[in-house]
Amino acid sequence: MSIATKPLSLTVNGRDTGPIDVPDGMMMLDFLNEYLNLTGARLGCGIGGCHACTIILDLPDGRSEEVRTCITGAHSFAGKRIRTVEAHAERDAQGNPVKLSPVQQAFIEHFAFQCGYCTSGFVTGATVLMERLKREPVARKDLERTITEALDRHICRCTGYVRYYEAVREAILATPGLVES
Amino acid sequence: MPQGETPRLLGQPVALLIYKDFARYDAAKRKIRLDDSVVRYGAVTGPKPPPHYGAARYVRVEGPTQDARDEFSALEDAVILGGFAGDKVVWPAADARAGGMGKGMAMAAVIDEEIASAGDDALVLKRDYFSQSIDASAMEADNGNVWYDPAAQVLHAVLATQSPHEVATNAAALVTQSKFSLKAVDLKAGYTVGYGTKDKVIFPYFCVIAGLYGDGLPVRLANDRFEQFQMGMKRHAFWIKDTLVVDRKTHRFRVMKAELKADGGGRANLSFAVGIVGTTAAQSIYYLPKSDLSIAVLASRAVEAGSTRGFGTLQTMAATEMLVDEAAAALETDAIDLRLANVFRSGMKNTQGAVPAGALRNDEMLRKAKTHPLWAGRETRKANYDATHPGRSYGVGFAQVQKNYGSGAEAAVVTLELDRDGRLTMRHAAHEMGPGVTTSQAVIVARILGRAPDRMSYGVVEWPEMPLTSTELPFTTSQATEDELQRNPRWTPTFVSPMATSNSAYYFGHATREAALVLLRYGIWPAARALWSRGGGKIAPDMNGPEDLRVANGKIIAGDLEPLQLSALAAKAHELGAVTGACVHAFNRREWAEAEFDLPGAGRVGLPVDALAVKYGDGAAPALKALMRVGGFHFIERATVRYPPVQRLNAGVTRYAPMATLVELAVNIATGEVELLSHHSLLDCGPQIVPSLVSGQIQGGVAMGIGHALHEFLPLYEDGPGDGTWNWNRYQLPRASDVATWTQTAEVLQPLSDSDTPKGIAEVTMIAVVPAIANAVHHAIGKRFYEFPITPEKIRSALS
Repeated sequence: MSIATKPLSLTVNGRDTGPIDVPDGMMMLDFLNEYLNLTGARLGCGIGGCHACTIILDLPDGRSEEVRTCITGAHSFAGKRIRTVEAHAERDAQGNPVKLSPVQQAFIEHFAFQCGYCTSGFVTGATVLMERLKREPVARKDLERTITEALDRHICRCTGYVRYYEAVREAILATPGLVES
Repeated sequence: MPQGETPRLLGQPVALLIYKDFARYDAAKRKIRLDDSVVRYGAVTGPKPPPHYGAARYVRVEGPTQDARDEFSALEDAVILGGFAGDKVVWPAADARAGGMGKGMAMAAVIDEEIASAGDDALVLKRDYFSQSIDASAMEADNGNVWYDPAAQVLHAVLATQSPHEVATNAAALVTQSKFSLKAVDLKAGYTVGYGTKDKVIFPYFCVIAGLYGDGLPVRLANDRFEQFQMGMKRHAFWIKDTLVVDRKTHRFRVMKAELKADGGGRANLSFAVGIVGTTAAQSIYYLPKSDLSIAVLASRAVEAGSTRGFGTLQTMAATEMLVDEAAAALETDAIDLRLANVFRSGMKNTQGAVPAGALRNDEMLRKAKTHPLWAGRETRKANYDATHPGRSYGVGFAQVQKNYGSGAEAAVVTLELDRDGRLTMRHAAHEMGPGVTTSQAVIVARILGRAPDRMSYGVVEWPEMPLTSTELPFTTSQATEDELQRNPRWTPTFVSPMATSNSAYYFGHATREAALVLLRYGIWPAARALWSRGGGKIAPDMNGPEDLRVANGKIIAGDLEPLQLSALAAKAHELGAVTGACVHAFNRREWAEAEFDLPGAGRVGLPVDALAVKYGDGAAPALKALMRVGGFHFIERATVRYPPVQRLNAGVTRYAPMATLVELAVNIATGEVELLSHHSLLDCGPQIVPSLVSGQIQGGVAMGIGHALHEFLPLYEDGPGDGTWNWNRYQLPRASDVATWTQTAEVLQPLSDSDTPKGIAEVTMIAVVPAIANAVHHAIGKRFYEFPITPEKIRSALS
């Protein structure tokens, strides 16, 4: 049996990637994990229900979106710009991470995660939320509700969510301009 | 499956297909997923489950006084074991004149008679409960990577397991009996998660087999979510028939009887142990003068059930806590007052006849809960809420439980080494399952030595410095045989426990603490004494010894002497040839094994460990260094040892951690949906090693309990997860919006003293919330539910 492939080119974490021959029906998660060795996005359910597999899609107008890679074909990202969890920390010239993103740092300081399997999805979701709030700040009284609405689709089985959510709230409040005074 | 044979259980894999490139694997997987025509079936033979897993009965009748010998108990007499005639349990014949099980059955008959003849002065409450099978739904499904190197005849494996030592040992045994030659197993236990379901699970051995047939290539075998539902280990479904007899005047419990049945599915696992632990937990937090608690653990064609978080106690204690709530209503008394009238206090005997170790603080927690605003103001709050929220009905529920931690055979092994520059290296048998053992063990070391280990290895399976042998039959070896075995100073009942989140703080922490203390007493103390006596100076005369050493600001201090850096102490310890490395092995059977060792320079020392190896500093005399020939260590064969007697196993459980949860919820009368408004928990975990980790366990456990109480359900048989069509679309896990994320609170009790020991708490945290929700739903709508989960459909039906 031959497997139909076609070339895929896109921008991954700021780098032009491809063209790489990728099977037609392959999901983006498998492409990231198996072809690019970017294993931070995780297979949780494979049906788009748990959001452990999400990455950031950077849109041409400057907005960012969270996308589930377990149910989105790799080829649907042709020509697009994406960020995976591997790109959130600042890196030095050699590519070594030197500073975590505010979300990642808050998760560490709050002991937010336990097994860590869902963490890249939560980092992704919280980062997209903060980028949205930068454009569209929220009233302080609506902050907790906003966090819940943004992240409720992410499943975590270990933590009961509290320390994740408290960490996200702290990261948002510590970043000027995300919450209306 | 060999052709022509019938699987013993639903969800049994029929074949492992190995692909050498990912694209072909991916295409094939998509093609055959959910395609019933891929596997062709022969003649229908009907299910062929294995024999039932066991039946046991714990009968206790108290003696004339609290301190007197019980009339009958498991600890002092016998656990009653039953056989099976079909699915029906056959218990031994009653014989009051005989000892052992016959007498126990006679006592059970006396208890039956007391229930049957209870008069108007007693409330007799009989209720049936059902607790469902659930999938633990660890986000990381079962998986492993295995490479069999045919040239070197080495099996390299990275496996997701809670029991690395056991898996490595069994993998070696498995491969040795195959056509493949084997010189070594190189197992790395990856950080993973399982809530009990990655212990005693078959999946790692499927990975090993796949690796053997990888034609020299590394093979990855990983369940997707459908496959994980299909074959991942489940929580046991329990059917519970409880009877409680309460004195109407004193409100004291006279008798409790529980007849339990659990379904262990079609592959023998820890089902019987789960049944026993669940049975011995059925008393919850109450003292019972007379009790008859029995369990039948059945085999079936269901997907395998095993050691899922709670280990049977969630099912049985939830039922008891709902029963007590209903009893309080029948007696027209406050449900916490009824609990206080019957609370299990320090010094009392449990339903096995054993007095638990440590102080029990159940009454203290009950009093705190009673005065909490959620409980004290519940009627006012309900009136206000219901008046302002048409169509919704408010309720508050409470429950309190105590969960044992540890089994009758817990073992741990740890090595700590201190180099000349003061850097610490730790090798540990424990490994990370999520709750933070890698942090907590490092913190334990830092509190004793002033510095967390600089290098740490977890999930270690190779222990050349601890050359023990074990029969690995710690639950079934007779006392006579064990007496004989322990004459070998290199024997231990079991080498290391599987990793469970409830055994890391106390059991693994004990070994970590003892290893650090050996370094402190026999390495740091002589070095400190030498440094404090420099230049003819005198160590303060009131310094007794290493017990005076403390840690402050990362330095070692004592009295008013100069604080010392660990680096200076390490250099001196090495110069002196003092102890700079310690490997300890510890064993616990409801209490710690103790042994004495002839430690050069220190004489005979007694420690709560059963094996010790040490390393001496660089400056040690050649004769001392020559002793370091076992993995670079001096393995000191113990001079004496005292293992806790085998009889202690009959105590069932003796170490408890209690937790109480108050739940505030609202029921939507039209839809039947339940919204948790807030909850408050009380926990006694002893001293918190890392408070942030403790709170994470509370929050995560409560969320999982909410799922069990309200959302999660799996049919057991043909329409259940074994059919391969289940995923998180049909199976509802709790989300943040389900668990009162922003409004929940918790209080952790202050430890009783600075020498209080940490308790295992990762299981107990999920239990109390389950019956608390059921009790709160009753408060809200006046209806009781006896089967979990309490779904909107069930509520609508009850209200219609």
